[in-house]
Amino acid sequence: MTLVLSAFTLMAQPVSYTRDVQPLLQSKCVACHQAANRSGGLSLSSLAGLKTGGAHGPAIRPGAVTENPLLAYITGDPPRMPKAGAPLTPDQVGVIRRWLEQGAQDDSSGATDETWWSLRALRRPPVPALGNGARTVVDAFVQAKLKQNQLTPSPEADRRTLIRRLYFDLHGLPPSPEEVSAFVQDRSPTAYDALVDRLLASPRYGERWARHWLDIVHYGDSHGYDKDKPRPNSWPYRDYVISALNADKPYARFVREQIAGDVLYPDDARAMEATGFLAAGPWDFVGHQELKEGTTDKNLTRVLDRDDMVTTTVSTFVSMTAHCARCHNHKFDPIPQAEYYNLQAVFAGVDRADRPYDEDPTTNRRRRDLLRQKQAAQLRLQPYLDKVEFVSSPELVELDNRIQDAGLLIVHLGEPKNAAQAAEKKQLEERRIADRARRQTVVDALVGAETYSTIARLKQDVEAVDRQLAQLPAPKLIYSGANFFTRAGAFRPSLQPRPVHLLERGSITSPGPLAVPGALSAVPGLPGTFTLPEASDEGVRRAALANWIADDANVLTWRSIVNRVWHYHFGTGLVDTPSDFGRMGSAPSHPELLDYLAVWFRDDAHGSLKQLHRLLVTSATYRQASGNVEAAAKLDSDNRLLWRMNRGRLDAEALRDTVLSIAGQLDLTMGGPAVRMFAFKDDHSPIYDYARFDPDAPGAHRRSIYRFIVRSVPDPFMERLDCPDPSIQTPKRTTTLTAIQALAMLNNPFMVRMSEHLAARVQPAGKTVAEQVSAAVRLVLNRPPTATEAELYSTYAGQHGLVNLCRLLLNTNEFLFID
Amino acid sequence: MDRRSFLWNWGGGLGGIALAQMLGQESLLADAPPKPPAALNGGIHHRAKAKRVIQLFMSGAASQCDTFDYKPRLISEAGKPFQPGEKVELFQSNPGVVMPSPWGWKQYGQSGKWVSDLFPHTAQCVDEMAFIHSLRSKSNIHGPATFMQNTGFILPGFPSAGSWLSYALGTLNDNLPVFVVLPDPRGFPPNGPGNWTAGFLPASHQATTIRVGSPNPIYDLEPPASARFITKASELDGLALLEKINRAHTAGREGDSRLDARIASYEMAARLQLSAPEVLNIDGESEATRKLYGLDQEITADLGRRCLVARRLIERGVRFVQVWSGADNGFPRRNWDSHENLAKDHGELGTALDRPVAALLKDLQARGLLDDTIVHWSTEFGRMPCSQGSKGRDHNPFGFTTWLAGGGFKGGVSYGATDEWSYKAVEKPVYCYDVHATMLHLLGIDHHKLSYRNNGIDRRLTDVHGELLPEVLG
Repeated sequence: MTLVLSAFTLMAQPVSYTRDVQPLLQSKCVACHQAANRSGGLSLSSLAGLKTGGAHGPAIRPGAVTENPLLAYITGDPPRMPKAGAPLTPDQVGVIRRWLEQGAQDDSSGATDETWWSLRALRRPPVPALGNGARTVVDAFVQAKLKQNQLTPSPEADRRTLIRRLYFDLHGLPPSPEEVSAFVQDRSPTAYDALVDRLLASPRYGERWARHWLDIVHYGDSHGYDKDKPRPNSWPYRDYVISALNADKPYARFVREQIAGDVLYPDDARAMEATGFLAAGPWDFVGHQELKEGTTDKNLTRVLDRDDMVTTTVSTFVSMTAHCARCHNHKFDPIPQAEYYNLQAVFAGVDRADRPYDEDPTTNRRRRDLLRQKQAAQLRLQPYLDKVEFVSSPELVELDNRIQDAGLLIVHLGEPKNAAQAAEKKQLEERRIADRARRQTVVDALVGAETYSTIARLKQDVEAVDRQLAQLPAPKLIYSGANFFTRAGAFRPSLQPRPVHLLERGSITSPGPLAVPGALSAVPGLPGTFTLPEASDEGVRRAALANWIADDANVLTWRSIVNRVWHYHFGTGLVDTPSDFGRMGSAPSHPELLDYLAVWFRDDAHGSLKQLHRLLVTSATYRQASGNVEAAAKLDSDNRLLWRMNRGRLDAEALRDTVLSIAGQLDLTMGGPAVRMFAFKDDHSPIYDYARFDPDAPGAHRRSIYRFIVRSVPDPFMERLDCPDPSIQTPKRTTTLTAIQALAMLNNPFMVRMSEHLAARVQPAGKTVAEQVSAAVRLVLNRPPTATEAELYSTYAGQHGLVNLCRLLLNTNEFLFID
Repeated sequence: MDRRSFLWNWGGGLGGIALAQMLGQESLLADAPPKPPAALNGGIHHRAKAKRVIQLFMSGAASQCDTFDYKPRLISEAGKPFQPGEKVELFQSNPGVVMPSPWGWKQYGQSGKWVSDLFPHTAQCVDEMAFIHSLRSKSNIHGPATFMQNTGFILPGFPSAGSWLSYALGTLNDNLPVFVVLPDPRGFPPNGPGNWTAGFLPASHQATTIRVGSPNPIYDLEPPASARFITKASELDGLALLEKINRAHTAGREGDSRLDARIASYEMAARLQLSAPEVLNIDGESEATRKLYGLDQEITADLGRRCLVARRLIERGVRFVQVWSGADNGFPRRNWDSHENLAKDHGELGTALDRPVAALLKDLQARGLLDDTIVHWSTEFGRMPCSQGSKGRDHNPFGFTTWLAGGGFKGGVSYGATDEWSYKAVEKPVYCYDVHATMLHLLGIDHHKLSYRNNGIDRRLTDVHGELLPEVLG
């Protein structure tokens, strides 16, 4: 039975007073307990009434699981209430119980009630007294809440469990057997803290935690959609995230660099790479590059492209769902539709494209100046080029059709297979040449010689700058947000911000008023509008948004990041919807702790993520055992109050890296272009073939963070282990356990090959099968086998070989789940 | 709780949970997982008429005016300028002249439905089919439009209809996946497997791709052939030992259903290893059946085999099978995107499709499966009634045709209409939302109530749209 409960809990949505609780009370209780008919002095028609209570005191105690009179009255056999009518079903009681557990949140009306928790001012709450066994301030909050609910923390986990937990959490890799025994034997009181420091100082930390960040920003190495082409210059952003985390870049700077690093820190090559954030999401190649300027679908393509930038920025950094206000005012949170389009206006000047930059600041500055000049020259030239490009007449339409017809037929013919086809092709080509010549004559006549002479004159300015650019050393490239780049097909730079209109009902064909760059007005103490010196400069717009988000006063920013970090350490966030702090999201399980951490992180740790990790993982709460305690599970089966540590399942990347490490094959080369772990063939839609890839190919043993992530064709092995679709932001991964996943673990060529490597690694470890088995178990599970295991494993290895045993060990639950 | 519901739960999604959410029963404290009452016949909101779906997807955009949308005016005004009375904005080209279909038209069945000579066999089944002629798309670009027909959104990352069904209804069998995709052997369609992604739904609802006819049809179903150390005996002993070890590991970890679910997933894997080759092996099918599906001719053999496998899959309880006709939009043409030479490209693809699809409908009917199996012929948008160049047609998102048969759809009806050119839907225009809503309805699902919270929004297959189309319900 309990099994169902946990499964259910995993999926369950937060209970809403308005949607779930109030209608229940209305149907079961309110007839006798209302303002006009206060039986027992109690009105249950409003939340205030529940809190005020009646003759016997308040009816509810938010946050407490027990000692809630309301629950006591409606449970029992038979329950005391309701006096008339059928008792509440177990389901209905459960709804109320969960609502109380979740803090009895009030979502009864947006406008009149007090401000939603995430938008309240951020103050450092008083720290409850430290109880027995508490190690950090985290424990004070957690244990106070446990106590309030008659729960007690679990004892500390054993040393082997602790070192494994820390390694997988901070590195996504296992400790070596030697590291485990050294730690187990180290009785120094500072051993644990020293281990934490060592792990945080290792570059493996940045590689692990960058993966979390890339989930949130939906980073990929290809565009997605039809014609899912590789993005050869997206990886510097991935490397930026890794190095920023390893360098413990202060969070406010981390934020600013990703949104507007090119503007705010123009001489810093790393800050330029950071702006890869803007372009991390998918891009519609056909919509941008093949659709004609001015068509409805072209405009729609651009609106959706900007929508992705707005959505990614707002949900990543401030955990709000501004994208819900694209078609109407936000239905649940105070975000007017106009503000959504103001956010779109922030990104009105950028497309996703490669941008050049230089490591050397002097060169970089020179290039920047030249590019600015070139852009200005291009802006002067463009109207005349457009005149030529878009000129039209009936004859031109006819010629265009003929030229296109010839093109279509030539393409369709392909390589001629016989003389007739060759002749046909030749004839079509000649016709096309003649038509093109005629077209040129018609265009020339229509636009006039003056246009051409102007173009020639203005082009000289552009070319003059190009000559100077050519003298600079070859630049580096980052796939980023760009307002100036080399045109490809119909994909051309905006040169200056495009006008953004509010779209009635989100419809591209119903433009409303012009939007002005801005942010959200709902954040207290921070103006939602920007005062911009030059609104025509798109970079200034992004810088304003970056500063708005990174502001000390932005209560959402600081709450959002500490909750994300908590989520990855503990498996569940204090707020279980890490990218939605609005009314459709969850309420915090420990609101005071969340606020304490946010203020502490901002003011005391000055945005140091490593200090935050240290604070969390050195807590007694984190160091608890993860085993079951039946009495506690009865009260809090979800472990929302943290009476034990949550058991984690290795995610796809950690699993793959761990297997490589155990097999002795892990290649720790850092950074650089993404590793293509598939056979690749470029085509109209490129072919990414994972089946035809050798698990031992060069580069194949590198960490998963360096994998080339294809959006349209995910790696089936990783996908089966719940590696998310990079087309969408993933603030929280789901965990599934399916037959098809079991098959991948058993039979995928990677797993099979690594089993062979592991067997070869442990072969020399002993002369007997028993010794080899023992070495394998130590590598895979960081402990010696028990006597029973030793016997079973040795028998199996003796009969079927060491490789089969290694493969079996890699399929055990103990390997996949981290206590 | 029986094992199936248990696995279903740890599959993550769970008709059980979906149901509970929809009924507003979010409690965890019920004594048994909520189960759909038998009276609903497998539905979760109301009585279901259909239990399964086979979707045939014409990648690249199959023309409506060369198949099922008969317009005499294209014949009478052949070669004249195309002037529908407004500016025509096309994907690639300027509008050419009015171009009649290269195929003739005939009437079929009791309903007298006009079908082009491209589909003479399929046409025999018109009295089983409900045609929707007034479909529109929100994009005229293959990628977004193909996403839309599959997921209801023109953006990537949303769950496909098959994944939604898996989430809503769960499995009908213990041995095979819920949602299976049979891609064209020439390659993936535009967007690749993104078209059948589970999106933000748990990965247990992702499709299993079966490459019919390939030596290794399901990824990782068996160990690589090179791994000779893996034998029948080593597998048998190994899995038994693994279970023993995993069971022992649960001591002290009670209450963590994942551990038990994972143990069970290996049992299911073993069953899948046995049942998958069986379902893909068509040797036991009669000569008549093989002939019916066109296995005796090269041009129809591939789709014939895949349609036959689709029938075998749903026969064994697979919920949703998607069969693709056509790969990506590259050259030489390997899908329905006939910009250059429609007679040739539609001709080949149509001929390859015609007999197998007719066979599928007749075979399902003969086996009594058509009553509760929906067959859905679909494509991402239509093609223009005017020419592109001299022999092709450009994209037409303004009006195109889809048809549905079986599973409670009314046969021999035509819903909605395009104008006299087959250019724009003018009578009862609909989007895929309405088709999806109607399909879900027949599967016992209220499309408004089938939702999943993602990034702050309760997402649905039908977005915020969707109207039932009662005229096509039997």
